[in-house]
Amino acid sequence: MGVLLQVSGLVKAYGGVRAINDLSFDVKKGKVFSVIGPNGAGKTTLFNLLTGVDTPDTGSVNLDGYELVGRPPHRVAACGVSRTFQNLQIFHNMTVIENVMVGCHLRGCSGLWSAALRLPSLLAEERRIRTWADEALAFCGMEDLAQARSSELSYGVLKKLEIARALAAKPRMLLLDEPAAGLNDTETLEMCELIKKISETGVTVLLVEHNMGLVMDVSSWVFVLNYGSCLAQGTPREIQRNPQVIAAYLGGETGIE
Amino acid sequence: MRLAGFYLFAALVALLPVVFPDNYYVTVVGVTAFFNIMLAVGLNLLMGYAGQISLGHAAFFGIGAYVSAVTTVRYGWNPWVAMAAGLVLVWLIANLIARPILRLKGHYLAMATLGFGIIIHIVLVQADAFTGGPDGLSGIPGLVLFGWHVDSDLRWYVVAGAVMLLYVWLSLNIIDSREGRALRAVHGSEVAASTLGIDISGTKVRVFVLSALMASLTGSLFAHQQAFVSPDSFSFFFSIELVTMVVLGGLASTFGAVFGAVILTFLPEFLVVFEDFQMLIYGAILMLIMIFLPRGLFVTMADRIGPMFAGYFRQGIRET
Amino acid sequence: MLDQLIQFLITGITVGAAYALVGLGFAIIYNASDVVNFAQGEFVMIGAMSAISLIDMGIPYGVALAAAVAITVCVGLALEKFAIEQARDATVVSTIIITIGASIFLRGMALIVWGKDIYAMPPFSGEKPIHVGNATMLPQNIWVMAGTAASVLLVRYFFNRTATGKAILACSYNMKAASLVGINVRKMLLISYGLSAGLGALAGILIAPITYITYDSGVMLGLKGFSAAILGGMGNPMGAVAGGMLLGLLECIGAGFISSGYKDAIAFVVILMVLFFRPGGLFGSAQAERV
Ligand SMILES: Nc1ncnc2c1ncn2[C@@H]1O[C@H](COP(=O)(O)OP(=O)(O)OP(=O)(O)O)[C@@H](O)[C@H]1O
Ligand SMILES: [Mg+2]
Repeated sequence: MGVLLQVSGLVKAYGGVRAINDLSFDVKKGKVFSVIGPNGAGKTTLFNLLTGVDTPDTGSVNLDGYELVGRPPHRVAACGVSRTFQNLQIFHNMTVIENVMVGCHLRGCSGLWSAALRLPSLLAEERRIRTWADEALAFCGMEDLAQARSSELSYGVLKKLEIARALAAKPRMLLLDEPAAGLNDTETLEMCELIKKISETGVTVLLVEHNMGLVMDVSSWVFVLNYGSCLAQGTPREIQRNPQVIAAYLGGETGIE
Repeated sequence: MRLAGFYLFAALVALLPVVFPDNYYVTVVGVTAFFNIMLAVGLNLLMGYAGQISLGHAAFFGIGAYVSAVTTVRYGWNPWVAMAAGLVLVWLIANLIARPILRLKGHYLAMATLGFGIIIHIVLVQADAFTGGPDGLSGIPGLVLFGWHVDSDLRWYVVAGAVMLLYVWLSLNIIDSREGRALRAVHGSEVAASTLGIDISGTKVRVFVLSALMASLTGSLFAHQQAFVSPDSFSFFFSIELVTMVVLGGLASTFGAVFGAVILTFLPEFLVVFEDFQMLIYGAILMLIMIFLPRGLFVTMADRIGPMFAGYFRQGIRET
Repeated sequence: MLDQLIQFLITGITVGAAYALVGLGFAIIYNASDVVNFAQGEFVMIGAMSAISLIDMGIPYGVALAAAVAITVCVGLALEKFAIEQARDATVVSTIIITIGASIFLRGMALIVWGKDIYAMPPFSGEKPIHVGNATMLPQNIWVMAGTAASVLLVRYFFNRTATGKAILACSYNMKAASLVGINVRKMLLISYGLSAGLGALAGILIAPITYITYDSGVMLGLKGFSAAILGGMGNPMGAVAGGMLLGLLECIGAGFISSGYKDAIAFVVILMVLFFRPGGLFGSAQAERV
């Protein structure tokens, strides 16, 4: 299996705090790569650097030959990177289906003028976008909710909606920031299945998650972040046995094993 | 049906002068209402949908009006050429200032747009060699459409009404498209929008320029209809009035903007008796609506009356 | 030429002092509640107008001035209580519109109470010009400068030395944390609005003898005060004072050497340039020093 993402020498400091401290790692194509670590370890910061939301001080992020550092987020997205957010970023001014249709933005090309005059080319594109959005919704098991207003939905459903929206962009790599946080047990189980299903379609998944059961279940590689540096990495089994990791997590109190 | 609300509205606009011919409130105040609707619908695209406040929208309206007025009165240009010149000038100015202005957010954006509006107003007052200064400019010729002189109230009603309906139609179309969803996404969450591939600043600039152009064209029509322009019509206060129209109906609702514009056009007509109270009432409306009905009078009402009614206007009704 | 410059400086500093006080009021409210109060200019107008009316009624000068400040403070408190507090969760755009609504409302009130007439106020102490070289200034100019300096120092003292002042500062850093340590956040907000209304009224009273006052005088003054606050970096009260002085000077020199008709335009062009190129303000970032 080839390498999709190559990160090397990544550094990001906020004031005096080095939130990301000289990180280098590779992500293999089509696998689930999990990043774990205690609160404040720098996981979200790492995602922000990978998606162009924030720029690193130094270092490079290479996606299949494209350098991502220095590109604004919408150009990174155009390279096939999609993400969800730890703090939900739903478009509450839109319905569920419209949220997902925004996800299809990169797959369309119509502009303001063709929209204003409602040219036939636009209508055809609208129909395509609608179909793609329906597919993404159905993939996440939300087809019944298409017309619901996003402000009326429960937290767990909104988490799935963010994933559907990100998938609608047909990404090569999907970054999930704590998708199971705040979910109940059934919902967590569903999320677990959904992540596996996404991975099966060939999309490379980067996962940040505190629920160790889920992480160990879905991941093929686990990367442990501590104070912005790599503490350990390996297969889930290796990580579960790693004494340093266990120490950092206070002897398994957070649910490793 | 997507445009059911629009057809209903268009039918109403067409029927009014038939049912009430030569009625002052229809053919005179009505035309003013149409101009206000055009401005409010354009501003709503920027403010309601894209979420970018503008306290200087009257400036573009003024530039359009004054380019038409000055070039036709002083240089004898053909009104249509003058109108196009106004659009070109506004396009240039809007493109020039859009990027730096729209990089700003919240209070800073409010201040910048407000400052721009005031600067333009001062120029209109001070550059009296061209603009006629505070006294304004009169003798602006009427419009001629393929030999048809737009010279009566009723004819202006037809022309302004048609353009107004065109604006409403364009706005409804835009909102229900890829670009329109991008606009609303930028309003909803900039970071999410950008990670989905939307070019935030490009999207904002495009809608800013579009709403500026819409205002400019309205200004040109206004100048020809009134045959007279003075800086008073394009002041900071008018910018605020436009914001009030959009907010009163409900941000992010095309028909809300229409509703707000109509109410605020007719309100002064009925308040003439209380002329001194007009300002007080305006201020109170703005405050009360924003505090108690932040989604706007029209949007709230439409939702209350029920899904049937809301369904017809669904198109224009989005939550903020 | 030099005399002319001195004359502009005197006028500039006087006008700037008024802007500084209004800007200071803006900054205080912004700091405490993240609201830009577009009705700040109306405080200036109400302060000046009430003082003039009270003096006209034959109330002793000093008492009238104090009462005018008190009236304006009440208006400020009412604004906080009945408008701002009611819309606590409002978005930035909503609060902007609410305070704009409040400013129009207050102007409408003033129109009903005082009409469209132009009012003048007798100066604090005589009208005998003082000569500075060939330039002249009025005693009132000195009153404006001294009054502004004194209030700025008092405000500084209030925020740096008194418990209430520090509590308001705590709210501006983190409202939730402040309320957790037992600070009555609502009361602190009220005090901030009262304080900045009082400062606005003071500005109005100080400048009323120099400029004429009408029911809509507050509009431009408020916008200039807002500009001063932005020049100084929003949320930096001393920056707002410096910004106000700078704006006053720029305006008077611009009016003198370029064109008086474009005086206000010059001020706003400067503001736009600052917003475009240094949105954090001229005097350091808002974060670095919030007081
Ligand atoms: N914009 C910012 N400005 C200043 N410091 C920041 C910023 N973003 C993150 N940090 C700091 O960087 C460190 C890493 O934060 P980050 O949000 O990446 O942690 P995390 O691993 O995602 O934690 P959690 O599990 O709680 O989500 C923290 O110390 C945080 O305070
Ligand atoms: Mg995080």
